[in-house]
Amino acid sequence: MEGFMLLLHDRTTQQGDLSPEEIQGIIAEYVAWRDKIAEQGRLLGGEKLADDDGRHLVLDDGAIRVTDGPYTEAKEVLGGYFAIKAADYDEAVEISKDCPHLKYGGRIELRKIDNHR
Amino acid sequence: MPGYDQITESVDHLFRRHAGQMTAVLTRIFGFGKIDLIEDAIQESMLRALSHWSYKGLPDNPRAWLIQVAKNNILDRLRKSSRDADLEEGSRLLDAWARSAGSSVDTAFEKEIREDQLQMIFACCHPALTPDSRIALTLKTVGGFSVGEIAVAFLSNKDAVAKMLVRAKKKLRDEGARMEIPAPSELGPRLESVLKVLYLMFNEGYSASGGESAVRTDLCHEAIRLARLLADHPLTSQPKVHALAALFLFQASRLPARSGEGGTLTILPDQDRSLWDRKMIAEGLRHFRSSASGSEISDYHLEAEIASYHAVSEDYGSTDWRALLEAYDRLLERRYSQIAALNRIIALAEVEGPDKALEELQTLADEKLEAYYPYHVTLAELQRRTGLGEDALRSYEFAAGLVENEAVKRFLRKRREEIGAKGSEGV
Repeated sequence: MEGFMLLLHDRTTQQGDLSPEEIQGIIAEYVAWRDKIAEQGRLLGGEKLADDDGRHLVLDDGAIRVTDGPYTEAKEVLGGYFAIKAADYDEAVEISKDCPHLKYGGRIELRKIDNHR
Repeated sequence: MPGYDQITESVDHLFRRHAGQMTAVLTRIFGFGKIDLIEDAIQESMLRALSHWSYKGLPDNPRAWLIQVAKNNILDRLRKSSRDADLEEGSRLLDAWARSAGSSVDTAFEKEIREDQLQMIFACCHPALTPDSRIALTLKTVGGFSVGEIAVAFLSNKDAVAKMLVRAKKKLRDEGARMEIPAPSELGPRLESVLKVLYLMFNEGYSASGGESAVRTDLCHEAIRLARLLADHPLTSQPKVHALAALFLFQASRLPARSGEGGTLTILPDQDRSLWDRKMIAEGLRHFRSSASGSEISDYHLEAEIASYHAVSEDYGSTDWRALLEAYDRLLERRYSQIAALNRIIALAEVEGPDKALEELQTLADEKLEAYYPYHVTLAELQRRTGLGEDALRSYEFAAGLVENEAVKRFLRKRREEIGAKGSEGV
């Protein structure tokens, strides 16, 4: 088994029009997906990242320069992640295909955790 | 960790209910002047829940989480514009609410929330508002429906509904509407207005619910929930309130049987009565008994009585048609309506036969009734039963031309084919 990160990119345009009922419905879909992965013993974790641009650090002429995230103009932000276990990329892709994130306009960046020495 | 069913089933409509409850509680504290701010803050807290819970999973106590987040959001927004005393009371109340949200016992706090919701219903059904905006405002602020959902339910567009709500809220502010259950001297007419709104809300949901849109069935359930709130409160627990609750419950008990294969509307004689919701009927009968506790008879009493004859009949044939006919006569005498008169014809056909019913139906017909598709369905069924098969086919065709709802259209086409097939067999 390998570890995979599903990096969840959100669109920055907010869905302010969603009704309470619709919001509950979408959450229920995510929770159902999450529960299914957890039941299979494949879920390692998942977190939401703060809705800001974060901090950006670089070594610039010998001094560390810290700036607010450079992504303010971007159409999407990294909103959160899931970490899962899967045999290989093919299986991880199959699992990710069901994730409601895609249906609701988000983008998933799938990355394998490199455990090889 | 709470599972999937906690949010979908056992907490059915959690978000919608929660939005309505919070709006009521906070509007009582901060007044109608702040209602837009309150609604925005509640919406934002739900969107926060969307991103948090979707990625992290559900918190241990979803309701308490929602209340805390909304509280922080609202206090932030209000800090600039409100008195410290209001903020303090708001903060105290929300904390108490969040604490009580986890316990299953019916705390004093839950009672306070119900009280707030009742006050909000009376405000939304304020006589200064137009009847349409009373319904829209009640659905939005008490029921937690969105502008989009209200538009779907009333076959209107979002902009029109949004404008109507803005105007209604302004009107309430201008009128100096307060969150209160009206004083006994005013309660009568104000309660009448509330009951009328619930009645219209229910009918709107019931009239076309052929499985076409879940939102429309939700209108029925919301009307029932609000009728129960009124029926349970000592100040509003009046006989006609129980009558209205009974009427809703009897009608709604049939909803599961009204929608047949592929969402086709199924009419009363053809319904599988084992699908009727027995719990609702039992609750309806309890309210119906409570409705008889006074000397007052309202239209709702008679309508509930009529609905009760169907609810307690084993099958269509064993319905007490004579009692039903007589109840229609009493209803029409009190308040004539063409629709009630049309429904009476159906009972008349069972008591006096289809010929007599057809004869009376034709005396009812006018331009307005002829634009109403159930008239043509009733006409067609009576024509079929009196051997006028060809006329019946034409009536069904005419009815289908009047209808836009797909489930009803399917029903009419199916029915027409059935009659056509029988006709050609010479039956």
